[in-house]
Order: sequence, then C-alpha cells, then structure tokens
Amino acid sequence: MKKIIFLFVLAVITSTLQAQFSRATLQASGLTCAMCSKAVKVALEKVPFVQEVKVDIKNQQYNLVFKEGNNVDFDALSKAVEDAGFSVASFKATGNFSHVKAAKDSHAEVAGLNLHFLNGNDENLVGERTITIVDKNFLSAKEFKKYASTSKHACVQTGKADGCCTKEGIAANTRVYHVII
Amino acid sequence: MKIHRKNYLLFVFILFSIALKAQPGPGKQAMEIALPSLSGDTLKLSSLKGKVVLLDFWASWCGPCRFSNKKLVKLYSKYKSQGFEIYSVSIDDSRGDWKKAIQKDKITWIQVNDAGGWDARTAITWNITGIPTSYLINKEGKLVGMDLEGKDLEEAVKDLLGK
Repeated sequence: MKKIIFLFVLAVITSTLQAQFSRATLQASGLTCAMCSKAVKVALEKVPFVQEVKVDIKNQQYNLVFKEGNNVDFDALSKAVEDAGFSVASFKATGNFSHVKAAKDSHAEVAGLNLHFLNGNDENLVGERTITIVDKNFLSAKEFKKYASTSKHACVQTGKADGCCTKEGIAANTRVYHVII
Repeated sequence: MKIHRKNYLLFVFILFSIALKAQPGPGKQAMEIALPSLSGDTLKLSSLKGKVVLLDFWASWCGPCRFSNKKLVKLYSKYKSQGFEIYSVSIDDSRGDWKKAIQKDKITWIQVNDAGGWDARTAITWNITGIPTSYLINKEGKLVGMDLEGKDLEEAVKDLLGK
C-alpha cells in the first residue's frame, strides 16, 4: 500500500513538473528606446520565478528562463515591465504540454494557468510548444484590437473568465490568458 | 558604549557601501578604464591626462547614441586641436556591428569595446543604467559633468580647455 501511495505521489509530482513553462521571449516598447535602458532587464530579473534574463539585441527582445519547479505568473512579468516605464509589445512562452487540445475557443489548464485558445486546428499539443499571449498588456493596443475582434467572447476584452469559460468549469472572474498557437 | 561603537562602525560601513554603488559623481577622480581599441591595442583612459575628455558609453544598436555621434563628430573636429578628446566605450557584443557603426558615423576619436551589454564589466563598475551616458573629465582627470549635450557641452568644453 505504501508503495502504491509513493508511486501515486511520484506520478502527481512528475506530471506537475512536466506541465511547466520553462522560458519566454518578451519585447518591450515605450516612448524611448527600451533596449537602451537597463531598467527592463533589472525589473524582470527581480521577478521571483525568473532565473535568467538575456538581452537579445539582434531580435530586439529579452530571453527569459524560468526557475524549475515554480509556477509562473505572466501578469507579474507584464507588471514588472510597466513599472520600469515600458510596456510589453510581444510575449511568447514555451512550455511542456501533455495532450492539450488547441481549437478556437477551447480551454486548458497548463501549469496552473487557465488558457483560452483563440485559434488552433483541433491540434493535440504534446511536448514543448510555444504560445503567444494576446491579452491586453502583452502586445500593442493596435494588435490587441486585431485579436480581440476575432472573438465575440467578453473574456477576450477583460482577461477574466466569462460565459464561455465558466461553461467549462472555470470560476467566473478567474484570470484567463488568451493565447494563439 | 561597546555596542554604540559597533553601531557606528556598521553605519559607516553602510554609508561606504552606498557610496560604492552610487554613480560616479562630480569632483571625483575618473576610475581607470583599460580596454582594447579596434586595432586590438589596449587604451587607458588615464593616458589622456592633460586633455579635456568626454567619456561616452554607447552601443551600435542604440538609436539615441547614433544620433549623438553625429553631433559629437562636429564638436570633435572643432576642438580636437585644442586638446579635446573623446573616449567612447561600446558595450556591443558584436565587434562587427561596432566596427560598422564607427565607419558609418565617421568616428575618428578613441573607440574601445567592452562586450557584454549591461553585464560588461566597465558598465557595472561605472553603474551605467542607460545609454548614451557621458562624463566630462577635466585635464586633471576629475569628473566635472554628466550627460551634457549641445550648447551646454560645447560651453563646458571651451571653459575647461581654457583652464
């Protein structure tokens, strides 16, 4: 019996470890040259679950590595960039997916985060995949409008669970990240 | 009394650490910089003593720095013969990009490179948090101004050259 419990615990631990976002790329923009200031790098480094921030000049982006075993909070990253005086212009997160269905308006919980796909061809996501967050504060206002217009659901505007999400068992007003793949 | 003394020492230590972390201020002696130029020779900032020096931190990918280069080209040609020198530290990771920018901006003053971006050792020592950042250094090697531009910079250079 003890052995079974142990195996069960081990299985739970490994499955949560697998469902993790390991890294991300982030672009920042502002009134002045974002790369010419150290502020964004310093602010991102201070976020507790961030292990490393590398400035990628060629692609004008910050390459982030997340600490292992930590659940990430994308909003904390967006806030850090805003507190540094800039805003996020693009955000792509890479993580391990274990059989997540990606279809227009399908929902999934990955690494403790609620995702709402705005596209996908009923694809079954397995292994390492990269998603782009298209919520407000994760891209330019112009691009946000573009994505928001592709969906009728109110949650796309607010980033909080609404009709379509609660139907799938997500509590109303829970943070839902809208993503494309 | 013993405790008091301990506290006092701690206080002095804290003040000292704050001073170490702070950006180099006016009146202080410029910290030494010794970095390789385009040709690979190491050029020391201290070797310019006796000249009025603008120490300029920049990178090829920094738009505002490139804009500033254009203005510095004019200032340099005007005051070079009177003992004005510019010592530019690029934090470019790519030597190729650095070289290209120097050619494109027609820079003829001293250029050295400390690869590593914000993690470049010189950038950390000088506590550089944004570029361009520049310091004006007098003939005795002391910092006398920071981030001066345009007319203010030219007036200060003229003034220091006359001293």
